[in-house]
Amino acid sequence: MTARPDRDGDEQLGLLSTAWEQAARHWQDEVARHFDADHWTPLAQRSRAYLAALGTLLDMLETAERETEF
Amino acid sequence: MIKVHADLDALKGFHEALVRFRYAQRGVAERGRDEIEVSRASLAAKAGRWQARLEQCQAELDACRAGEGEATADCSVYARAVEQTSERLEHVRRWQQRVDLEAAEFGGTASAYLDLLEVDLPRAESQLLAIITSLEAARRIPAGET
Repeated sequence: MTARPDRDGDEQLGLLSTAWEQAARHWQDEVARHFDADHWTPLAQRSRAYLAALGTLLDMLETAERETEF
Repeated sequence: MIKVHADLDALKGFHEALVRFRYAQRGVAERGRDEIEVSRASLAAKAGRWQARLEQCQAELDACRAGEGEATADCSVYARAVEQTSERLEHVRRWQQRVDLEAAEFGGTASAYLDLLEVDLPRAESQLLAIITSLEAARRIPAGET
């Protein structure tokens, strides 16, 4: 059975977060702080927001399918 | 020159993860769009079936009423069928409207996210690659030559 795309996206974001944490553990200079503020934090926040919106929409589509089965 | 203090392998790993993430999230977005289209098509098919059923029920009711002149026919069964079918059709149509509305709203969020994947994320990858390249170059220079 294929997983829902929002759940796959969450899993991918989890893997990316782990890779970031590993990189950030040894990368704590000014360049890292800029990269975090300019790229990583916006990417993580917007990915979470998109995946949450996708999840809500897919829940609604499943309800629509169920509610219109007579 | 900006000094970068970092674990090179961890940075390379993160860069590879960023590239994988971009491709994976594109796939997620495409599958999201597909799910919306499948749902719309399914609701449209249901609405079509209930519309056809309603027309059939209405024709049966009309035929029953047309025969009332000959005898006192009870058409209430047909009338109830028309009412029930009409309610189900309306119910499906309300869901169609809701799906259209919420899909349109989500479309704005999805479009902005695709921009992030197509524009901002490659920029982040390029910057990170430049940092990695600079770090590799710096490490090739023997100590004392900087």
